[in-house]
Amino acid sequence: MNFEAVIGLEIHVEMKTRSKMFSAAPVEFGLEPNTLVSINDIAFPGTMPTVNKQAVINAIRVANALHMKIDDTLVFDRKNYFYSDLPKGYQITQDKRPIGSEGYLNIKTDATRRIAIQRLHIEEDTCKQLHFNEYTLLDYNRSGVPLIEIVSKPDIRTGEEAAKYVETIRSIVIYADVSDGKMEEGSLRCDVNISLRPIGVSKLGTKVEIKNLNSIANIQKAIDFEARRQEALLLSGVPIIQETRRFDEASKETVTMRVKSDAVDYKYFTEPNIAPIKLSDSFIADAISSCPELASAKEERYLTIHGLGEREANIILQNKDLASYYDEAALSTKNYRSLANWVTGEVVAYLNKRDIPIENFFVSPAQLALLVNMIESKEISNKQGRDIFQEMLTNSSTVKEAKDKLNISTQINDDAVILNYVNEVLNAFPESIKDYKEGKDRALGFLVGQVMKKSQGKVNPGLTSKYLLEELKKR
Amino acid sequence: MEFLDLTIRQLHNELIKKTITPLELVKEALLRAKADNNNAFEYIMEKEALDMAAKLKEPEVDNPFWGIPFIIKDNFSTKDIPTTASSNILNGYVPVFDATVVKKLLDVKAIPIGKSTLDELAMGGSGTTGHLGTTFNPYDKQHQHIIGGSSCGSAASVAASIVPFALGSDTGDSVRKPASYAGLVGFKPTWGRISRLGLFPFATSLDHVGYFSRSVYDAALLLNLLAGRDPQDATSSEAPVEDYTRYLNTELKGAKIAIIKEIVDSIYDKSINSAFQKTIASLKYRGVKVEYVSVERKLLEALFPTYVVISCAEATSNNANLDGIKFGPYFDGKTYDEAMMKARTKGFSELIKRRFVIGSFCLMRENQEVLFLRAQKVRRMVVDKINEIFKDYDAIFLPASPTPAPKLGEASDRLSDEYLIADNHMVIGNFGGFPSITIPLGFKGNLPFGGSLTAKTFNEAKLLHIAKAIEDITGFHNLSVRTAKL
Repeated sequence: MNFEAVIGLEIHVEMKTRSKMFSAAPVEFGLEPNTLVSINDIAFPGTMPTVNKQAVINAIRVANALHMKIDDTLVFDRKNYFYSDLPKGYQITQDKRPIGSEGYLNIKTDATRRIAIQRLHIEEDTCKQLHFNEYTLLDYNRSGVPLIEIVSKPDIRTGEEAAKYVETIRSIVIYADVSDGKMEEGSLRCDVNISLRPIGVSKLGTKVEIKNLNSIANIQKAIDFEARRQEALLLSGVPIIQETRRFDEASKETVTMRVKSDAVDYKYFTEPNIAPIKLSDSFIADAISSCPELASAKEERYLTIHGLGEREANIILQNKDLASYYDEAALSTKNYRSLANWVTGEVVAYLNKRDIPIENFFVSPAQLALLVNMIESKEISNKQGRDIFQEMLTNSSTVKEAKDKLNISTQINDDAVILNYVNEVLNAFPESIKDYKEGKDRALGFLVGQVMKKSQGKVNPGLTSKYLLEELKKR
Repeated sequence: MEFLDLTIRQLHNELIKKTITPLELVKEALLRAKADNNNAFEYIMEKEALDMAAKLKEPEVDNPFWGIPFIIKDNFSTKDIPTTASSNILNGYVPVFDATVVKKLLDVKAIPIGKSTLDELAMGGSGTTGHLGTTFNPYDKQHQHIIGGSSCGSAASVAASIVPFALGSDTGDSVRKPASYAGLVGFKPTWGRISRLGLFPFATSLDHVGYFSRSVYDAALLLNLLAGRDPQDATSSEAPVEDYTRYLNTELKGAKIAIIKEIVDSIYDKSINSAFQKTIASLKYRGVKVEYVSVERKLLEALFPTYVVISCAEATSNNANLDGIKFGPYFDGKTYDEAMMKARTKGFSELIKRRFVIGSFCLMRENQEVLFLRAQKVRRMVVDKINEIFKDYDAIFLPASPTPAPKLGEASDRLSDEYLIADNHMVIGNFGGFPSITIPLGFKGNLPFGGSLTAKTFNEAKLLHIAKAIEDITGFHNLSVRTAKL
């Protein structure tokens, strides 16, 4: 019996807005616990919610990137339950009318598949809990941070597809400037729902939830393991227990966290402190058009207009700031392939070696473009370019300053001038002509060297060789 | 007459003339507060009030609230002043911020002298369920009659002339009913007219900030000050703040008033009916058109159950933040759920728990459709019907209560139309957010009773105009225990 895994993903994205979802209290990450708690965050009696406009704009941008229908009326609901990380005893979320619905993502593994996305909604984060054996600590700094929740339909079939799906969403939220998308820091969280069914059967099997996954790699591993675990059980006739599991990194296995009780009744009802808000067509359109360019659009440009290869494009797009750097440099040059070479080669190598981010890279995009242009116009050679580059980094100088310091004068490319030097040299060294004709190839190198000497190293070596060969033929 | 027996307007004049200073006023108010035997206070702000008053030297001629002492119902957040909502679950809770209305009053140099008792968490109408016990009616020195609620302490302190005005909150008539039992002007404007930021929420869609005063003019002055958009309250209205006193000195001509027949028919008290009819006659004499309208009995009988369902459901959610973990007293517990259970078991009275059970039940997935959502639909039907009446009439006039203040422990037949309809009709003002006011109408023996006026949303100026006319008719301007000729 062949089984297929039926997988749905629930992704929570923490938005890096300046203030909280339902109050003007500031958002900042990484602070000492409970040093940034406002009256709303701790739900003192008498506090009231107000809606964060930027968060709504962010949600619209992401929903649009996921090809979703945008609801033009913003409605919030209360999700009521008691838990130590929920200050109000309810979470303000969107139950009945999520801002985004009926979207999709195309992901490419060995084939391209469309994953349907059921909903995208806005809600607020709970406070952070740190569990120890004897006690639990609560940090309210995070309470109220804006969240986007994205729920896919169970269209995903493998761990690899899931990883690609999460990577794509991660790229979207990072490029849209909505979130840091760092799973290891919790600004992007993913819960997996997975069940198995015999291929060809439409009825869904018993669902298992996997939570607390802290990396995309672990998502894939957890899914692969869980699919195998469930298959083994089903083949032995053992029913799957509906439960919540976590992924144990050490053993690379999923492990029971808690057995799922019957679905909790959250007693959803419309939030009475926030009247429904009509989003005008222009508000929605502006939110979309003002969205920073996404990776997919950049990739399109890199491949079709800049003519970059997929490999280079991917390297550049791996890092949003690197892509921004490349884009800015590309404003000052049309030598895209060369620029890409430089960025993915010399620049990345330097950044990696010094372990610094591109924001701290000394050479500005305009300067790099200038350097690339000089090389491509043959004003200087590739080697000279690399020398200048190193000099710039070592002594924090501009292209011009470095070029002057290294005494790299402009390369001579003028045909007449080079031809002149060539003939002068040939006239001066008839023995070498003879040597060359007798098959001593080293003679050519000698002659090129003499031309270089005569021109103080300024002639374009390639052109020099070319003309020497031509003239040698004539003589 | 002693200064604290005056209205805000009258007192302001004395302060400008410097016949009295804020410090003297506050000292007298504190004396009266401490002498209060009606159990009206949770906390007396002696030091704070004296400090504030001592700083006020030069009266501000255009500021009617300068140096005026007042009292705040203990479900308003007051910075650095303990606020309990008369519930044990908030014993010792000291807020770090002021409610917007408190801030507005402090900004104009009004002086709060204390926090007043209420029915626990504002959920009640008898004034008997606060954690400090019953608050009594100053009109009954034998302490046999209630003052109603939930704003019992605020009503008692204004009726006893401790201060000329006090803040309250009105979710189902919690300002307007005790105003009737205490012979006061009790007013709540349109929902959203005054910011609720800092008011501990009972039922969000029904809650209003309201207040007690002893004259309609004072009520208008307070509205001028307290109304307005608050960016921290997303439900507060952006409609411009008018001058709500602007009609008060003009003739009331051509106004049209409606009386809901079925409600009046459910009131059997002779004193009340007599006073009500006399007032109507006087209004007609002044050129006001007064007509009876009909509202389907079924709809009126549904008022109370609709209110119970909606208010309990919202209250359950609104009070879920009280868990004994984040603030307030710690009731012990080794796990979070144990701590929550203990806090909410010991911290709430049985009556509160009962409401939460009802509220949870109404919100359960399998019940929501037939209880909570149906109640919302009935609410919509009521509001639509009332708005229909307001198409042809400026206000609806009714007795505020079927009787004067009932005796303590007097049970009412919950299914009688006297209870269902006559005792609960003022909830109409909460269902539709309509501005609504109680003004004194008469006395039965030593106990006062009031009339209720309700107008269309954002028609406060007109409502106050009609209320002032009735105040002129009855002559009950500045009525208090001390001025009533009993």
